[in-house]
Amino acid sequence: MQLSLKIALICILIIYLFCILKAVKRKNMRIGYLIFWSITGIILIIALLVPNLVDTISSKLGFEMTINMIFSVAIFIILYLIFHLTILISKEENKNTLLVQEISMLKKRVEELENKEEK
Amino acid sequence: MKVLLIIPAYNEQENIKNTVKKIEEFSNELDYIVINDGSTDNTEKILQKNHIHHIKLVNNLGIGGAVQTGYKYAYENGYDIAIQFDGDGQHDVNYIPQICEPLINGQADMCIGTRYLDKSESKFQSTFMRRLGANIISFFIKICTGKKITDPTSGFRAVNKTVIEEFAKQYPTEYPEPESTVSLLVNGYKVQEVPVSMNERTGGVSSIRLFKTIDYMAKVVLAIIIDSISFRKRRKK
Repeated sequence: MQLSLKIALICILIIYLFCILKAVKRKNMRIGYLIFWSITGIILIIALLVPNLVDTISSKLGFEMTINMIFSVAIFIILYLIFHLTILISKEENKNTLLVQEISMLKKRVEELENKEEK
Repeated sequence: MKVLLIIPAYNEQENIKNTVKKIEEFSNELDYIVINDGSTDNTEKILQKNHIHHIKLVNNLGIGGAVQTGYKYAYENGYDIAIQFDGDGQHDVNYIPQICEPLINGQADMCIGTRYLDKSESKFQSTFMRRLGANIISFFIKICTGKKITDPTSGFRAVNKTVIEEFAKQYPTEYPEPESTVSLLVNGYKVQEVPVSMNERTGGVSSIRLFKTIDYMAKVVLAIIIDSISFRKRRKK
């Protein structure tokens, strides 16, 4: 890999880590997710900095080509992430239903009580 | 004996007033509650103008979430029987005594008003496709629970106090009619059917559209199977 390309990629990754930090600071992301996303960023930086690291790992693991290992690892991580998010959405939907029901019933109670007082 | 009619309504501006009027004409001892499921039309205005007893959901939840709100209301106010009754004029108030009878006698915990039982002289037995769909769902319910339910998608049903409590806590919101029937059956509750006749919809659009039917069928069957599997695991403990 050419040195200029390497430097560019590392710069992008550093900006990426910075963005994660900023998101957490602004409370747009929970700290639990900070760990997941920053670890992926740090692993990518290490892979870029240490020469032949990825190649050695993939040949030790028995992959014929390094790119195969990178793709399979990336796909598995993404699959896990989407699965995790699907569960999270379903849970949030249930909570949302409960909230809508309770709020609506409370509103009705409040209206009834207000009407009683007026009379 | 306190009886509550739960009337879910989503965009039912044409029908809701008539439905409630018929109920009031039928008996003034019957309590009812309309659940306005976040309608986007004039349903809410009509409900307020006519002083119809109702709860307005602050967001659209779908039929399952709306009906569950009704069961929660019934539970909190100590009703003995809750009857699910559509707001679109499909169901006939005259069958309310029949549908309550098995509950009062203690023969059943839930009683479903069925279109397809032979004895009923229904004007509206619905289309061939819908009958086929009901048959498929009822076939899978029979396999999974051993009980034959002829009209599993019927929204006209009465439940007793224990089931009201159960539904207030836990109610399937995705495919509520068949799923709730299955979960009651696998938990050992008694479900009965009585023949009723239903009217053709007087307005509005059915929530089950023709093109979505196959998709709906597949998911319902899956839901039924999953509901009965999770029960078997629970039982082993």
